[in-house]
Amino acid sequence: MQPTVHSIRISLSSEPRLLHILRCVVRYRAQEAGFPPEDSDCLSMAIDEAASNVIRHTYGNRPDAHLEVEIRSFPDRLEFTMEDSGPKVRPEALKPRPLEEVRPGGLGTYFIKCFMDAISFDEDFKEGNRLRLVKYLAPKGSISDESARQDRE
Amino acid sequence: MKVRVRTENNTTIIDCTGEVDLYSSPALRETLLREMRGASAMVLVNLTGVSYIDSSGIATLVEGLQLSQRTQTRFGLFGLRNNARSVLELARLTKVFTVFENEQEAVAKIASTLPFSGLP
Repeated sequence: MQPTVHSIRISLSSEPRLLHILRCVVRYRAQEAGFPPEDSDCLSMAIDEAASNVIRHTYGNRPDAHLEVEIRSFPDRLEFTMEDSGPKVRPEALKPRPLEEVRPGGLGTYFIKCFMDAISFDEDFKEGNRLRLVKYLAPKGSISDESARQDRE
Repeated sequence: MKVRVRTENNTTIIDCTGEVDLYSSPALRETLLREMRGASAMVLVNLTGVSYIDSSGIATLVEGLQLSQRTQTRFGLFGLRNNARSVLELARLTKVFTVFENEQEAVAKIASTLPFSGLP
């Protein structure tokens, strides 16, 4: 029998004030999927950073564009896809800058890489960009799962 | 997010409350840079009430730090909650900023710190 996959799709205009709502949905969905609160916060930040990048860099801070975020919950992971209709982003854009450079900006991609297990652009997506981000749940009873439980106690 | 400016013991304190993200960080940036260019020789950012800060908020604080070097203003942070501290640690910035535990310590010690002189 195929495992059940739960899916939520959110359509947002590219207004920064809506990022708060996106973070709330991601955090809630992550906790519901079994991620501990700390990991859920990290996931919501990663998706916030990805959406912020779209608003700032792909749309050049235009508030009248749109992005679509889909959250799919599998038994072992959460998968996020973020679609925009802006100009194509080069995959090199996912490369974070060296942390030795203390300067404003450029940290968002670094945080995304820190918090997600996999991140890639869908090269077959024709109009705009589709970013795929994946975070796996720690297996039940694993060392990290156990230490997380102990941390919370 | 709300930003309030007050003065304690000749030190400008910027109280920041709420979530600092792409939407709200421009307001913090405007206040921080204005105060840094003003008459105050010491500026502190109170993050006690900040429940969330993203890379745009961190970038704002880094911009303030860089400006403090040019204006020779003593600049520090205090009241970091776990999430803000974790984000700064992840970005390896806790050693770059002058970070105090609380307002009492910050106001007492900021005058004895050196203005940011850049990285070695």
